[in-house]
Amino acid sequence: MADQANFERDALQYTRQLFSAAMRMTRNPSDAEDLVQETYLKAYRAYHTFEEGTNLKAWLYRILTNTYINNYRKESRRPSEVDLGTVEDLYLYRRIGSEESAEAARTTEDRVLEGLVESDIKQAVEELPENFRIPVLLADLEGFSYKEIAEILDIPIGTVMSRLHRGRKALQRRLWEFAENRGLLPKDAEKP
Amino acid sequence: MSGGKCDEALTNLYQYLDREMGAADSERIRAHLDDCSGCFDIYEFEIRLRVVVRERLSEEVPPEFIERLRSALARESVEGR
Repeated sequence: MADQANFERDALQYTRQLFSAAMRMTRNPSDAEDLVQETYLKAYRAYHTFEEGTNLKAWLYRILTNTYINNYRKESRRPSEVDLGTVEDLYLYRRIGSEESAEAARTTEDRVLEGLVESDIKQAVEELPENFRIPVLLADLEGFSYKEIAEILDIPIGTVMSRLHRGRKALQRRLWEFAENRGLLPKDAEKP
Repeated sequence: MSGGKCDEALTNLYQYLDREMGAADSERIRAHLDDCSGCFDIYEFEIRLRVVVRERLSEEVPPEFIERLRSALARESVEGR
């Protein structure tokens, strides 16, 4: 059992991470602040039920995610099988790698990775349907394991893996489009 | 790149990067990445992409918000007594 007196010391270190995730969930700063605050208040009230020594960060994310799903999300509640389209694996690399020489490919890789600005990446993530966006955020922003994500979202590990896989592919396809629009790609590679 | 080993490495690349493979499978893929420059390039690109995505998604928390959050928690702790 955790002592409420230690809550600030133990839990507030995750504010930046929770806020970053909340921004991508709610897509606006004012809702993100409300969501994070509500998460911390709920966590504080329930802190005596938190088993000390277990994963506090995952526990906070579970509260964040549930609060978001119950109170903030504007998309349909029904788990949707959104069609992300057919995207080949390792999409971005495959597209860039169609260059003649290894050096040319490397130059394009560098240009794409440096040239994709924050707003491109944020928008690409925010456009992912929620069922895919949240697992991608938990894995790629936070580095949670499949098992932790399964527990946070209350879904089977197999579902975590397939959503992550499809979500990441869709993200790469979108990033490719941003790279194309920014003129980061060589002319002959622009038409997939 | 050559056939089966490349297929195995690339099919499982995300799981490998996510550190979600058993020790033996993981070791086999690591050994292949050491040998195969084609697969290693892909592996390296995926790592760089992850770093870029993670860094550019991170937000600064507005300092006023931290203050507000601390006050809200302080109020909660007074009321809870």
